[in-house]
Amino acid sequence: MNRTPEPMSRRPELPFHWTLVLLLALSVVLAACGASGAPSNAPAAEADQERPIKIALMAPLTGGAAAVGEPQLNFVRLAVEQFNAEHGTNIELVEGDTELDPAKATTLAQRLLADEAIYAVIGPAGSQEVAAVAPLLAAADLALVSPSATKPDLTEQGLPNVFRVVPRDDVQSATVAQFLLQRLAATRVWLIDDQSSYGVGLVDAIEAQLRAAGVAVVRESVGQDETDFSALVTRMRADQPDAVFLGTQVASQGALLARQMQEQRVQALLLGGDGLMTEDFIANAGGATEGAYVSFFAPDVTNLPSAQPVIEAYTSRHGAVGPFGPPAYTAAMVVLEAILRASAEGPLTRAAVRDAIAQTNQAESLLGIPIAFDTKGDIQNASFFLYQVQGGAFVPAR
Amino acid sequence: MGDSLSHLPQQLANGLTLGAVYALIALGYSLVYGVLRLLNFAHGEVYMVGAFIGYGVLSLLDPALAAGLPGWLGLTAMLLAAMLGCGLLGALIERLVYRPLRHTHRLAPLLGALGIAFVLQHGVLLLASARHRAIHAELILPAALGFELGSVRLSAARLLVIGIALLLLAALSLLVYRTRMGRALRAIGADPEAAAMLGVPVERVVSQTFVLGSALAGAAGVLVGLVFTKVWHLMGVAAGLKGFTAAVLGGIGSLPGALLGGLLLGIAESVSTGVISPTYSDLIVFGVLIVALLVRPSGLFGKRAQPKV
Repeated sequence: MNRTPEPMSRRPELPFHWTLVLLLALSVVLAACGASGAPSNAPAAEADQERPIKIALMAPLTGGAAAVGEPQLNFVRLAVEQFNAEHGTNIELVEGDTELDPAKATTLAQRLLADEAIYAVIGPAGSQEVAAVAPLLAAADLALVSPSATKPDLTEQGLPNVFRVVPRDDVQSATVAQFLLQRLAATRVWLIDDQSSYGVGLVDAIEAQLRAAGVAVVRESVGQDETDFSALVTRMRADQPDAVFLGTQVASQGALLARQMQEQRVQALLLGGDGLMTEDFIANAGGATEGAYVSFFAPDVTNLPSAQPVIEAYTSRHGAVGPFGPPAYTAAMVVLEAILRASAEGPLTRAAVRDAIAQTNQAESLLGIPIAFDTKGDIQNASFFLYQVQGGAFVPAR
Repeated sequence: MGDSLSHLPQQLANGLTLGAVYALIALGYSLVYGVLRLLNFAHGEVYMVGAFIGYGVLSLLDPALAAGLPGWLGLTAMLLAAMLGCGLLGALIERLVYRPLRHTHRLAPLLGALGIAFVLQHGVLLLASARHRAIHAELILPAALGFELGSVRLSAARLLVIGIALLLLAALSLLVYRTRMGRALRAIGADPEAAAMLGVPVERVVSQTFVLGSALAGAAGVLVGLVFTKVWHLMGVAAGLKGFTAAVLGGIGSLPGALLGGLLLGIAESVSTGVISPTYSDLIVFGVLIVALLVRPSGLFGKRAQPKV
C-alpha cells in the first residue's frame, strides 16, 4: 500500500439527507442501547452531559418558495454562529427542507422528533405547514417558533408549543384601518378583494373596522385573472373616495389597477396588503404606483442602527437583505436564548425549553422591537409595517 | 342608481374599447366558421401568442424607444410582427392539424382545436414561464395622455385601440367583399364542392382565411396590451370565449354580425360591471346572451340554418 491517504478535508461532504439518515440510524441504535442497558443509570447520565445540543430549522429550501427559505436559512446559520461565539456554547443546527409542503413538513417533523438532541424548531415557514406539524411536535413537548406564518387560527388551537415572531393577519387589518382613519382621516374608502380566502378575509376585517368608525365603504370583488378595471375605476371617479385598498395575492394586479386609475385621473390614494410587496407592483406599473402604500409583516431593518452589525455580517456573505430573513434571525435568537436559560435552571428538557420560550422577554431584537409572547404564543405588540413606493422602491412609511 | 347613470357615457367608452378587441377576435371565429364550418377553439390562444409577440418586440425596442424612436413606429413594428407571426401560426395550424382532419369525423377537428389550444398554452408556459408580464405601454404613449369630452375621459391609448380596430375591420371588409380572394372565400363558404368545380383553389383560400383571421387575433393581442398592460399564458382562454360568444351573438359566419356582437358584448360587460358589480358581470353578460339566443337562435345577423343535401 503506497497510496497516500487523502486528507480529511478533501473528502466529499455527505449530502444533507444522508447526514439526517445517519443521525436517525444513530439515534435508533442509541435508543436500543438505552433500552437494553436500562438497569444502569449512571452511564446514561454521563452520555447526557456529552450529548450535543441541537436546534432544527424547517424551511422551504427548494421549490417555489426557495426565495423565502434561502434567506431564512442564511440568517439562522448566522444567528447560531454568532450566539455560539458570544456565549461559548456549541449548539448545532439541523437544517431541514419542507418545500412549503405540509406533507413533506410532516415527514421531516417525525425525523426531527426522533433526534432527542433537538430541543426546539425554528419554522416552518408556511401557515399550512405549521398547522400540519404543530400537534405532532406538541405531543413530544417540542416547541416551534415560526418566522413567517401569519394565519390567525394557528395559535388558537390551545397548543402550548406554537410561537411566532411575526404578527397575525388580523393585526394587518388593524394596521391598515388605523392608517386610513388616523393618518388619512379618510371618510370614503373603496375596498377590493381578489376572491381568495386571503383577500376576502383581510378586506372583510378592514371593512368591519372602517364601518364601525363611520366611514363610507364601497366593497368590490374581482377575480385574480381580471385585467380590466376600467368600469370600476369609472365608478370610483364618480364616487371620489379618499383611498382604495386592494387585498390581492397577485402583485401585478395592483400595478394594473394603479395604471387604470391614472388613466382616468382618479386621485384616490392606493393601498395594498402584503401580497403586493414584490417587485411586480413597482416594475409593472410604469410609475403609476409611485406614492402607493403596502403593509408587510416585518419592518425594514436595513436602516435600523441597532441592526447594523448583523446586517453587515450578512451582506458581506449573502448580499442584500430581503424582508423574510430578519424574522428568522429573531426566531433563532429566541430559541437559543431560551435554551441557555433553561439549562441554567435545571436539567435541559424539551418541555423546559418550551416553557423558557414562553417566558421570552428580550428588550431588543433584530426587528427593532422587544420580543415577548402572549399566552397563545403570538408575539406581543407587533404590528404590520407600512411601506410607501418612493422613487421606484419600497421605503418605510414615516 | 341615478348616480350610476351619470357615468353611463364613460362606461360606454370603456365598453367600446373592450368591444373593439372582442370584435377583432370574433371576426377570426366567424371567418373560419363561414368558410369551413369549423369552430377554431385555438383562436384565443393565437390571440395570446400575438400579445406575447407584441411584448417581445416592445422589449427588444425598449432601448431604442427610450433613446427617442417615435412611439408610433414602435407600435407599427409590434402590430406587424404580431400579425405576421400569428398569420403564419394560423396557416401552420391549418396545414398540420385541420387539413388532415377535415374529411374525417365531424368532431375530430374540434378536438384537434382544443389540443392545439393546450399545446400553445403550454408551449408559451415553457418558453416564457407562468409569470405575468407587464407591457410597458407608456413607452408607446403616456398613460395619462387623453382628453375630456364632457364627463367622459378618453385616453389616447383607448382611442388608438378603437381607431386601429376599426381600420382593420374596414380593410377586412374591403378584402372580403371587393377582391377576387374575397369572392373565392365567400364562394367556398356557400358551397365548397361547387366552388372547387368552378376552379376555386380551395386549399389555398382556406389557408388564406386562417392567415387573415389569425392576423386579426394577433393585432387584438397587441392592442389589448396597450390598455390592459399584462400578458400571461392563459390570457387567451377568457378572451377566446368572449370572442366566440360575440361571434355567436352576431350570428356566426357573419362579418358585420361579429363586429356588432363584439361591441355589444364589450359594452354589456362594462355597463354591468359599472352599474351593478364586477362579481356578477359575467353572469349578467352570459344571461343576456342566452336570452338573446332564445329570441334569435341564429344570432343578430345569422341566416336560418339551411338543411344541407
